[in-house]
Amino acid sequence: MSRHLAPALLAAFAVVAPASAAADARVFACEPEWAALASEIGGDNVTVYSATHGRQDAHYIRARPSLIAQVRRADIVFCSGAELEVGWLPVLMERGARPGVQPGQPGHLMAADHVEVMERPERIDRSLGDIHPTGNPHVHLDPGNIARLAVELAGRLARVDPANEEAYRSRLADFEARWGAATKRWRARAEGLRGTKVVVHHAAWVYLLGWTDLDLVARLERISGVPPTASHLRDVVERVRTTGAAAILLAPHDPVDAADWLAERTGVPVVELPFTVGGQDEAGDLFALFDVTLALLEKARDRS
Amino acid sequence: MSIIARFLPLVVLPMIALLAAAPADAQSAGQPTAAELARQIQEIKRDYESRIRALEGQLSNLEKKSQAEEKKTPAATPAKKATADNAFNPAIGIVFDGRYASFSADEWSRIPGFAVGHEAERAPEGLSLGHSEVTASGNIDDKFRGALTLGLHAHPGEATEVELEEAYVQTLPGAGLLEGMRVKAGRALWTFGYLNEQHAHGDDFADRPLPYRAFLNNAFNDDGVEVSVVLPTEVYAELGGGLFRGDDTPLFGGSDNGLRARSLYARVGWDMGRDAAVRVGGYLLDGKSRNRGGGGHAHANGHGHEDEHADEHAHEDEHDHEDDHANGEEEHEHEDDHANGEEHEDEHGEDFASFFSEGMFTGNTRLYGIDVRFTVAPTGNARESELILQGEYFWRKEDGTYTLMEEEDGEEHTENLKTDSIAHGWYIQGVYKPAPRWRIGARYARLSPPDDAEIGHNPYAFAAMVDWSNSEFGRVRLQYNHEALDGDEEDNQIMLQYVMSLGAHAAHSF
Ligand SMILES: [Zn+2]
Repeated sequence: MSRHLAPALLAAFAVVAPASAAADARVFACEPEWAALASEIGGDNVTVYSATHGRQDAHYIRARPSLIAQVRRADIVFCSGAELEVGWLPVLMERGARPGVQPGQPGHLMAADHVEVMERPERIDRSLGDIHPTGNPHVHLDPGNIARLAVELAGRLARVDPANEEAYRSRLADFEARWGAATKRWRARAEGLRGTKVVVHHAAWVYLLGWTDLDLVARLERISGVPPTASHLRDVVERVRTTGAAAILLAPHDPVDAADWLAERTGVPVVELPFTVGGQDEAGDLFALFDVTLALLEKARDRS
Repeated sequence: MSIIARFLPLVVLPMIALLAAAPADAQSAGQPTAAELARQIQEIKRDYESRIRALEGQLSNLEKKSQAEEKKTPAATPAKKATADNAFNPAIGIVFDGRYASFSADEWSRIPGFAVGHEAERAPEGLSLGHSEVTASGNIDDKFRGALTLGLHAHPGEATEVELEEAYVQTLPGAGLLEGMRVKAGRALWTFGYLNEQHAHGDDFADRPLPYRAFLNNAFNDDGVEVSVVLPTEVYAELGGGLFRGDDTPLFGGSDNGLRARSLYARVGWDMGRDAAVRVGGYLLDGKSRNRGGGGHAHANGHGHEDEHADEHAHEDEHDHEDDHANGEEEHEHEDDHANGEEHEDEHGEDFASFFSEGMFTGNTRLYGIDVRFTVAPTGNARESELILQGEYFWRKEDGTYTLMEEEDGEEHTENLKTDSIAHGWYIQGVYKPAPRWRIGARYARLSPPDDAEIGHNPYAFAAMVDWSNSEFGRVRLQYNHEALDGDEEDNQIMLQYVMSLGAHAAHSF
C-alpha cells in the first residue's frame, strides 16, 4: 500500500488544485466586524472571508489549515491588531501569506494602528494576564473608529486593486453618509445612557463605554484572560451592592458562571450584547450591531 | 495494580493541594483579610486611574483630530510602541518541565527489536527534571528568520547534557521565492507526521507514543534543508521535501558523505462545518546508513548513554568492520541460520532481536508515515471545550546488514545478519476538554517489530491522562501508563508532570 501512497496523494492534489473563480480582491478579515466593513466598502468587487464568527473569542483561535489556505490567497489581511490575534495570526502569516499582506505592505491592515488605543499598560508582565500587552485591541465598538477604518480600507483596496478605485471611492462616500447620519442618532441616544452603571466581564467594552459615557463599576476579570478569582469577586459584590448597577454586560463568547453568580447575589441582570456582527441574529451588519447594542442598554437602564 | 494504590495518594494529594490553592471557585467567599482590603483599595484606585486615562485619551483624541486631518499619514503605529525597546532582540523563551514518576517494573524492559535511544527511554523514577528548553528566535532581516533551541537534559546522578535541538534559518514570505514557498535550513524538527514538528512540551501526554520512541528516538531533527509550498487552493494543500545528512539515529546513521537522506510529504486540511477541522498527511523519509550505531555491545548492560556509545563504536570499529565484510563466509552462514532461528540462538547465545536493538546497521531505510488530526469545538471556542482525535501510522523497511559485536573469551568478534525486513507501528489518541482548564485524554499505541527479529509479540502501551492549566503557559499533568513492551513483562507507570513556559512562546500551529 505504502508504495502507492505518494502517487495517491499527488492525485488528490491534482483534484483540489484548480483555483476557484477569481474576484477582483480578496479580503481576509480576522473578525466579523472587519469582514462586514470590507463588504460595505468592497461590495461586489471583493470576496470577503471572516476567520471567526460572531460567537467566537478572537483571542483564542486555532490556526486551522483552512485559515492558512485563506490567507495564502488574500490581497488584504484586515484584523484588530494590538496583539488581539497574536496567538494565531503569526502562524497564518508565516505559513501561507503572500508578500503583499506582510507588515508594512498595503495589504496588511491592523485597525489598532489607525485609532487611538486605550489602556496601554505601563509595564508588561505575564502576571498581568496573557493578553493586551500593547493596549486594548477591541477598538470596533466606537463608531468613530469604524469611520476611520472605512477611509483607510478604501485606500488600501484602491492600492491592491487600482482598476476598481472609482467603485471603492463611491462606496466609501455612500457608506460615510449613511454612517455619519447613524452615528448622530447613536450619539443622541447615548446622551440618555450617560452615567448608567454597568459591570463587564472582560475589558472588551472600553471603547463602547468611552463614547456612551456608561459608568464602569467593576470588571469580573481582574486580569485580562484569567478567570476571576474568589477574592476579586467578593470585592465586586461589595462594590455593586454599594453603587448599584443596571447590567452585567457579557459578550456571546464570555463564560456565564461568574456573571450568573454575581447576578444571583446582587439582583443585577446579566445582559448579553452582540459584541460583533453576528454575535446575535439581529446584529446582521455594522448598523444593526450598534442599533441592537443601544437598544439592549436602554432596556437595562429602564429596568433599573 | 498495587503499586498504583500505594502511590496514588502521593501524586494526587499535591495535585489537590495545588487546585485548592487555585481560586476559581466563587462560592468560597468569606471575610476579606487586611491584605485583601489593601488590594481592593489598590484596585479601585487603578480602575479610577484607568478611567481618567481613558478620558485623557479621548481628549487628546479630539485635539489630535484637527492635526490628523491635515497630514493623512497612515503609518502611525501607536499600538507597537510598548514593545519597541526590545524590538531588535531575539525573543527568548524558557520551558520548565519537572516530574515525579513511579513504576511497577524495577527495570525497564526496553523495546525488543528496536534501537531505542536515550531520549525515548523510560523516564527516571522518583523526582526528576524532564526536558528543559531555551529558545531564541527572531527575524534576521526582511527575508530571513532564525531560531535556536537548546534542550537541557538533566539525568539524575550524571552531568547535564546540552543538546542542540534546533538551529535553523528559514525564508520569510517577502524573500522573493515563489508565493507560498518556504525554505528552511539547518537543524530543525522536520516535517514528518503530526508530532515531529512540535516541541515535546506542547504534547498532550508526558511521553511520546511508541512509534515515535521506537522509530525516531522521539523526533527526527537531522541537519538538512527542507522546501515546502502551500498551494493557492480553496482547501489547504501543502507539498514539501528535504535533503538531510542522514545522521539522526536510530533512523539513519554514519553518513559517509553527509547527504544520505531525503524526505517527501504532502498534506491537505479543511473545515468540516463551522467549528470542526481536519488535516491528513502522507510522509516519506528515505536514506542510507553506514555502521549506524544501535545499542552498542551485545553484552553491554541495557542502560547508559546508548547514543554516544554507539556512535563512538561506529567510528572506532570501522576498520574492524571492513575486515568482517571481507569475510563473506560468516555472513553466508548466518543467512542459513536465519532459516532456523532456534538453532542459531543455541549456538551463539544470541537471538535475532539483539541484532536490531544493539547491532550496527549498513543499508537502506525507508519510513512512511500517515497522520490524521481532527478537532471540534462545540461553541467554536477551543478554549472552552474541545475534542481532538489524532492518529499516526509508521511503516519502516530496512534492507541491509546488521553487525553485532560479541565478546568471547575476552576477544571481540563480529557477526552479521542480512535483513530485508518490515516494522510498523501506530497510535491513536483522543483528548477532550470538558471545561476551560481541564483536559482528559487516552492513547493506545502498538508496534510490530522487524519481522526478521522474530520477536513473536507486539509491544503495546496504553496511556490515560488528566491535566489542568492555569493559563496557556502553565500546566500540571497526571498520567497513567500501562506498557507491555517485552512479552509478559508489564509496567504500570504513574507520572505527575508540570510544564511551564516563560517569555516568548511560539504560537502553536493546528
Ligand atoms: Zn480582549
